Amino acid sequence: MGITLRLAWRNIWRHPRRTLLTLSAIAFAAAILVFMVTLQLSSYDAMIDYTLRVHHGHLQVQPEGYLHKPQIRNTIPDARALGSHVRQLTGLSAVSVRAMGFALASSRARSYGIQVIGVETEYEGKVSTIPGLVKKGRFLSSDDAQEAVMGHVLARNLKLNVGEELTLLGTGRDGSVAATVVPVVGIFESGSAQLDRHLVQLPLGTFQDVFSMGDHAHAIVVLGDSLEEVEELTDAVRFGLPAGSPLVALSWEALIPGLKQAIQMDWASGWFLYLSLIIIVTFSILNTFLMSVLERTREFGIMLALGARPGRIGLLVMLESIWLTLLGLAVGVVIGTVVVFYFHIHGFSYPGMEELAAYYNLPAVIKLALSPLSLTLGPTVILLVTCAAALYPALRIRLLKPVDAMRGV
Amino acid sequence: MSALNLSLLYTLAWRNVWRNRRRTLVILLAIAFGIWSMVTLAAIMRGMIEQQVDNTINNLTGHIQVHAVGYRDDPSIDNSMLSPGPSMLKVLRSEDVRAWATRVRVPAVVASERESTGVTLVGIDPKAEQGLSFIAKAVTEGRYLQSPGDQGLLLGRKLAERLETSLGKRVVLMSQDIDNEIADRGFRVTGIFDAKMEATETGFVFVGRTLAQEMLKLGARVSELALVVEDRQDLDAILERLANAAQGLDVQPWTKLEPLLVLTVKMYDATMLIWFVVVFLAMCFGLVNTLLMAVFERTREIGLFQALGMRPRFILSQVMLESLTLLLTGLVIGNVLAWATIAYLGDGLNLSAFAKGLEWAGMSSVIYPLAAASDVVMANLLVIVLGIIASLYPAWRAARYVPVEAITRT
Amino acid sequence: MGHTVICRRLSKTYHQDAIAVRALSEVDLDVPKGDFVCLSGPSGSGKTTLLNLIGGLDAPTSGEITVDGQRVDLMTQAQLATMRLKHLGFVFQAYNLIPVLTGQENVEFVMQLQGIGRKERRARAQAILKEVGLERLENRRPAKLSGGQQQRVAVARAIVSGPSLVLADEPTANLDSENGEMLLELMGRMNQEHGVTFIIATHEQLVMDHARRLIHLHDGRIVSDELQR
Repeated sequence: MGITLRLAWRNIWRHPRRTLLTLSAIAFAAAILVFMVTLQLSSYDAMIDYTLRVHHGHLQVQPEGYLHKPQIRNTIPDARALGSHVRQLTGLSAVSVRAMGFALASSRARSYGIQVIGVETEYEGKVSTIPGLVKKGRFLSSDDAQEAVMGHVLARNLKLNVGEELTLLGTGRDGSVAATVVPVVGIFESGSAQLDRHLVQLPLGTFQDVFSMGDHAHAIVVLGDSLEEVEELTDAVRFGLPAGSPLVALSWEALIPGLKQAIQMDWASGWFLYLSLIIIVTFSILNTFLMSVLERTREFGIMLALGARPGRIGLLVMLESIWLTLLGLAVGVVIGTVVVFYFHIHGFSYPGMEELAAYYNLPAVIKLALSPLSLTLGPTVILLVTCAAALYPALRIRLLKPVDAMRGV
Repeated sequence: MSALNLSLLYTLAWRNVWRNRRRTLVILLAIAFGIWSMVTLAAIMRGMIEQQVDNTINNLTGHIQVHAVGYRDDPSIDNSMLSPGPSMLKVLRSEDVRAWATRVRVPAVVASERESTGVTLVGIDPKAEQGLSFIAKAVTEGRYLQSPGDQGLLLGRKLAERLETSLGKRVVLMSQDIDNEIADRGFRVTGIFDAKMEATETGFVFVGRTLAQEMLKLGARVSELALVVEDRQDLDAILERLANAAQGLDVQPWTKLEPLLVLTVKMYDATMLIWFVVVFLAMCFGLVNTLLMAVFERTREIGLFQALGMRPRFILSQVMLESLTLLLTGLVIGNVLAWATIAYLGDGLNLSAFAKGLEWAGMSSVIYPLAAASDVVMANLLVIVLGIIASLYPAWRAARYVPVEAITRT
Repeated sequence: MGHTVICRRLSKTYHQDAIAVRALSEVDLDVPKGDFVCLSGPSGSGKTTLLNLIGGLDAPTSGEITVDGQRVDLMTQAQLATMRLKHLGFVFQAYNLIPVLTGQENVEFVMQLQGIGRKERRARAQAILKEVGLERLENRRPAKLSGGQQQRVAVARAIVSGPSLVLADEPTANLDSENGEMLLELMGRMNQEHGVTFIIATHEQLVMDHARRLIHLHDGRIVSDELQR
């Protein structure tokens, strides 16, 4: 085998220019794949993480059916206690209880229909970045305080400033009128157009009071340590819920199915492109493989006459193709890695990305990060496809007869 | 050496291309596949993007909107405007404008017996909306509004579900009137509409314009005027005339109203171009290599040509012509295949497996590929032009062979 | 100028890796118009080199070459191409014909390069093919012709463009003696009837017997130069 390997290597370099062109084609495809796959995967992670950390959390405990029909009557009883239970169960402190409703928010100048959320002031900051994004004033102080915070676009539309009064008018859990007037203590800029335009947050106790909730709420938001553990965490929480209760533990994939699917779609369409690219490159270099076999027909004939078996020659040719491909892949991977590294340091973005990002609730700059998957996935597929292509010329050799070979040109 | 020799050159080029059938077929496949993927993908993306644009325009935006100055920042009742006067009406009635309508459009709250939520209240002239926006054709249960004075209300299906209400039941609309008081009024749900996107169904509630004006004490004032033109590309002329006629009002084309959409379109264009170049480069390696091999195989013959008195320029032209033949043949095959693929997908590419994802990105789940002439031309032109440039190298090498080396090379 | 070819102190040295090979040393040669010359010698004697230099396919290291009154050693590539097109014909040992063209197209090829119109080309080609005895095989591609037939087409092509000089390098080496004999007779006839000068390089006795003037080369020098018939 050793001599075959060496022979294969030397054969590649018989026609240096041809080999270099072929190498370049493979390196080109490999570099692009390494970069693009890394970009895609890094984007997905960033997207998910970013989106979830702002408001949704990694998973939520909700009353069954609340997700599709967020009705104020569908509640979690004794919510705070359940919240503590989940905290103990998971060992996480990033667990926060929320109650949600709809109300008409009015200032002296305007009224708007908005969403009101009652939050646990002690824990909300651990599951959401919003408390940390209060740019004017401060976040809510305690669960019973008579105060509110709102998004900056809403504040602008209502023409309200910190310290001024906000009137809230809605329907309580029991159908009664829910009304209150509270001062605005803080205005936040979450980066999400939707949240900034439609959200008012009250302390949980105040909300429960105003909307006649008693000790009920609508969701328990949990933020795990990392995205990879979400499934485990969701299962753990699900089992930890009181038996027979009509509550469900929903991971982010159920909460925002659009996000996961959008990612899947992007991944799939990416691969449509990549496979096309790989196929084109393979056709491109197939000729090289073919030619290098055909022009050595005479030589193979002599080898056969000397007693070598067709299988061995076929193996030789396959090895040449593999050597060539591996070389090209190595060069491509190095180039791709360098490019990724550059964007790892400087972050990746393109003109217009910032605006799109704000609308879709995504990070405006993506820090590329290599993972074993992103590094090897592209090159592996290339290797498989080119080897499959190289089979064709290699198999043709098995049909070669010494006499024909030596006579042919 | 003249045009006479072009036929000789061409005969040689064509026959030489087919000398090594297998090799030629392989590179043709590469070129054909390359252009197929370029054109097909471009058509799918173009279809997606056109759909997004159409959806947005259809979704009340229209091609041009007119508002009171300040409405766009603060879409409330304070920023209402008068109905169009004679000078504006003159522009609106010209034949470039396909349809136009005025609307009342303010934020409101809709409450059923059980639930309430925020929506945008849209008071419309039902007949004027035909040909202008989606609502005229979207009512699937009950009936569409008949006139601006119609007492009924149109509710989106998803919203009806959320409010746990249905056709025939009562809902209450609340909003801020012109005196800054909360105005409310009861309506019976007379029609349920379905829209391509869930957000549209939950975001809008439609009533007769006159009723909205009465409820909000607007008199004859409205919130916005929207119109669609016959030819979307020809917007600027009408925009100018309208702006001149609508002194003191804010007149904007959809490109300014939906900058995000415009941005997305630009990005698609850029992505497609980049993809074209990448595909071309992938093909290019193969093309150059194939030509080099063909040239190398024929060194003796090239030496013969030189011995016979053919000038280097001729030899160069011959190789270039072979390359052009390969490119054109591959392009023809690829384009035909792409056209066939697009025709096959003409009924729509069904991506409902990704329905929620598409909705999240603002698209519907059936995509109709659109082969835009500009995309097709650009892809083909790119391949030919760059292909010829890439062929210069092998052609140059062929012409540079010194006769003696060429002839005596085994 | 009655001389088609004049060489003065012609030398050619090849460099292969680090070794210098003297292919020709200070060769003087005069070939008058209409001559039928044979350059003979063992392999490595320089006969092919001399032929290549006269034909402008290679450049001398030193010395002068004049063909039809023009200094070949001073010409540019473009000028050489023009000279070969108008004044010279070549017949090689093998690979004479363009594989993708038929016999007749091969013969018409140089005339096409010279810009001659279709009618005239066709007439002349058919005439010359008849002269060489191939008038029914003109639409076959080289792959379908025997070795002897291929060489005859090559001679036809070399003559038809009206050159003053035809250079042949081992034209009979790949043919059996009967075909070789026929080819030489053909070339002799062309020489007589069209007045074209022939210089043939060979190591075959058969060819040497046909030559009117026999020049023998050895180690890059002319060692004998005799008229035979």
